[in-house]
Parts: sequence; structure tokens; C-alpha cells
Amino acid sequence: MCDFQPKLVAWLDNELPENQAAEVERHVQACQQCRAERDRYEQVSKTFDAYCDALMSAKTHPNVLRWVPAVSGALLALAATVLLFTWQRPRIDPRPAVTPRAAAAPIQALAAEPVLSAEPVAPKKIHRRQAILPVQEQVQQPTAKWQPPETAVQITIPAETMFAPGAIPEGMNFVAELSIGPDGSVERLRLRP
Amino acid sequence: MSDDSVPLALPFLRFADSSSEVTALYRELRKPLLRYLVCLGLSSDEAQDVVQDSFVSLQHHLAAGGTQDNIRGWLFRVAHNQARNRQSSYHRRFLHPLDSEMDVVAADATPEKAILEKEKFRRLRAAVGLLPESERECLLLRAGGLRYREIGDVLGLATSTVADTVERAIKKLAEKCNV
Repeated sequence: MCDFQPKLVAWLDNELPENQAAEVERHVQACQQCRAERDRYEQVSKTFDAYCDALMSAKTHPNVLRWVPAVSGALLALAATVLLFTWQRPRIDPRPAVTPRAAAAPIQALAAEPVLSAEPVAPKKIHRRQAILPVQEQVQQPTAKWQPPETAVQITIPAETMFAPGAIPEGMNFVAELSIGPDGSVERLRLRP
Repeated sequence: MSDDSVPLALPFLRFADSSSEVTALYRELRKPLLRYLVCLGLSSDEAQDVVQDSFVSLQHHLAAGGTQDNIRGWLFRVAHNQARNRQSSYHRRFLHPLDSEMDVVAADATPEKAILEKEKFRRLRAAVGLLPESERECLLLRAGGLRYREIGDVLGLATSTVADTVERAIKKLAEKCNV
């Protein structure tokens, strides 16, 4: 080992007196081993400095970029969820929006229907409402014209679907026709071949 | 205290009792102090607090007519002691201050460079973890730009001892890091 090697670090740090520094410098130019050691020490010092800088940078400025994909994904998912719900609403419920005025129309129609109401609606109440809300007269016009169909649903059922196989004698076949009224009751049942 | 009787370590401290000079000193030494404290094991917030407290102490020190010799070493010593006082258990928090598994590779590094740098830092971290505390602190203060005499002031060591300690630590790192 060269005698100058213990002074190399202090020489690199400019901590040696001028005369000693000049002596070490002359020696390093001539000694290959000391030059190699000097290079190693310089490299270690640089690496240590870089590590300290990187450590400080990592601690004081956390890597925000790492959170960008996660935050972006969450925002996209949130936006997609909101879009999904807002878009599906008209598909799920395609009925037109019911205004209070329109909603009142069937009620008025049912009240005016003598068949469905057990007792006639008190005329005073209706009269008062009409007096307070004259606009309802216009609403009643289309509902007054509305008449429920006599038969809401008609169903035709073949006999073989109504009975178990073999329950009907061979050669005998018929269908049942059901007419269901607007109130859900069976208005007519007819069997025909 | 008159200017003529006080040996000043830094030329701009001639009027060090004025807050503007302390402000200039703060601009110059804030980052090295922060880096030293963070590498010592403090969190970023703790380090910021310690730096602020150290400069408040400097202001009081100068206002009280304290010595202006080696203000840099004085600041690092105050920060070092405050950092120790902030820890409930110094050895628990400072046992391996640089032995952190934190990913310290630069974000803009290419994948190849990142791998090489990571490996280099891993070896260095392992080597630093084996150093005695005095050698580690000497290296950290040296990396902060302090002279051997200033490091001695901070750690309470003779300048020749600091020179030997630094030389020994650098040699150990060079051997163990294979650079």
C-alpha cells in the first residue's frame, strides 16, 4: 500500500495544507495505484451524495405520478357509474313524465265513473276544487272522452294445455276463450271447438 | 459586540444581527440542513420543523450577542441536537437512518438506468448500514458541505479525528460497494 493513500480523501476534500496537497498531487500523477484509489473514492462520494439527494427528494416530494393512474381510474369509474345511472333511467321507465295536472286526470276520471265508485263523490268537494283550480276543467276534457274498452284482455287457451295428457278423450278438442275486463274480472268464458 | 472583535466565519455575517442576513443564511443552508436531517432519519415534516426551530434559535443567538464563529457548524449542531431531542428513542429511530427500503430512483430514469441505480443504491445502503454511527454522521455532514473543522464542532470531535473517521468510512464504502 502506498504511503500517500491515507491522505487521499483529505486531499480530495481540500482539507490538506497547501504544501501537503501539492505533494500528494504530484504523487498521484505518478502513481497508478493512487489514481485508481482516488477514482474509487470520488465515485463513492458521488454515489453517497446522489443517494442522499434521492432520499431527500423521495421523502420531501413523494412520487405523485404513481397515484395518477389510480386516481384517474377511480375518476373514470365514477364517471362511468354516473353516466350509466343517468342514461338507464329513461330506458327503465319509458313512461312520460307525469305532471300533477296529468296525474289528477285519472283520479278525476275514476271519481266520475259511476260503476267504480260505490257512492257518488260529494259534489261540493268537486265543485270547490273546480272553483279553486279552474284549469282542471281543461284537464277533464280529454279524460271525459276516455272510455275504457269493454274487454281489456282476451285469452284463448287450447284444451290440451289446460288438462293433463290423456284427460281429454281422443277426437275431442276445444279452446277456451277468456275475456278479462278492465277491473281484472272475467267477463266472459266461452268454449268452442 | 463590535464587528472588529468578532471573527466571522462568513463574510455576509458582518451584520448578522439583522434579519436580512439571517434570511440570506436561511436561503443558503436550508436545503443542506433538510437533507442532513432527512438522511439522519427524520420525516420531511419533522425536518422542516427542526430547520425552522434552528433558525429561530440562530436569531435569538445573534440577538443575544452570541459568537458568530462557524455559524454553519453552529446551525448544524443545533439542528442535530434538536433532531435527537425530538426522538422519543434515538436508537430506535436512528438505528439505520439510511437503511431505508424507499424507492429512491429518479422518476425520469430509463428502466435500465433505474435498475443499475437501484442496485448501486442497494449496495451502498447495505454498506452504510454497517458503519458506526460516528462514521455515518461524519459522512452525512461532509455530504452537506461542511468542512472537517465544522463537522468536529457539530459532533464534538477533533478535526484530525474527523479526517481519520471520514477516510475510514470512505474506504469501507469503496470496498463494500465495489465501485
